[in-house]
Amino acid sequence: MMFPWFKKKGSAKTAKDRLTIAIMSDRQNTNSFPFMDEMKAEIIEVVKKYIGVKAIEIKKEVDGEVEALSIDVQLDKKD
Amino acid sequence: MGVVIAVISGKGGVGKTTTTANVGLGVALNNHKCVVVDFDIGQRNLDMILGLENRVVFDMIQVMEEEVGLKQALIKSKINENLYFLAASQTKDKSVLHSDKIKKLINSLSEEFDYVILDAPAGIESGYEHTIEFADRAIIVVNPEVSSIRDADRAIGILDSKSQRVKDGKEVMKYLIINRIDAKMVQNGEMLTSEDILDILSIPLIGKIPEDKGIIEASNQGKPIIMDKNSSAGQAYERIASRLCGNQIEMHDIEVADTSFFEKIKEMFK
Repeated sequence: MMFPWFKKKGSAKTAKDRLTIAIMSDRQNTNSFPFMDEMKAEIIEVVKKYIGVKAIEIKKEVDGEVEALSIDVQLDKKD
Repeated sequence: MGVVIAVISGKGGVGKTTTTANVGLGVALNNHKCVVVDFDIGQRNLDMILGLENRVVFDMIQVMEEEVGLKQALIKSKINENLYFLAASQTKDKSVLHSDKIKKLINSLSEEFDYVILDAPAGIESGYEHTIEFADRAIIVVNPEVSSIRDADRAIGILDSKSQRVKDGKEVMKYLIINRIDAKMVQNGEMLTSEDILDILSIPLIGKIPEDKGIIEASNQGKPIIMDKNSSAGQAYERIASRLCGNQIEMHDIEVADTSFFEKIKEMFK
């Protein structure tokens, strides 16, 4: 480039900022615990002792500084 | 028992197969017995990069299915006698992969070889999980570009949840390779720096590889670029292979553009 002083600012900074945010949100959405499947299976076993379970969903929720696991137990409808 | 290393990435086309070929050859040049295995079932490519496409008779699926013996399917490199290659199947699809058969294959390879290097399919594909399952270590290849880095983070997540070593409470050692770095763009603030990428992914760096037109030339000829002593990418692979073998090699700062007087003059007339 002939006149570097006219050059617009590089976009690397934008890339880093966007990536940081995207990856943070990706990591929250995926169940990043390696033991998640086993934990699910064990919870199902425990609940099953008392009531029928159809499915279970575990989600990690982040609210500011607070991280929580929400566990949704879907019951097996008796017919 | 040899060490099993999976070469992985998030998205395709970042240089995984090129890395597998060059690192494998580099390890062999360091006098270690090494086998590179193409795990990208259905998309055979490693044979071309190694210049061994005409020698492939049997593939790794046939070995896993016990149709042929391992010795019959292994192809010896023409370039270095320490390097062997096991081809991917082109006809079968990924559903033929089964954990117990893969484990058996990898075990028998690691009995024969010091290094077993697996060229994985891209991280979003189904064969990926099988490739990383029994790996002791992983090399993650990224380009300094947003989609490659984001997908790599996902692939690392899968590695951390599906690896047998992690399930056994052990650690999978991870190394990052940043491939296709354009020094000029980094200097101009138009490309992510390696520090940016390390900040985001937080895994240790094993090497940086500059963008090099010679890579195409090397793949045209089926001669891995590490054979070209004058190539900057080849030299970068040489350093990476040496680090992988446990040697302390200083990190070269390839992100600093060539600032010789001649280069500056050339730049002015662009």
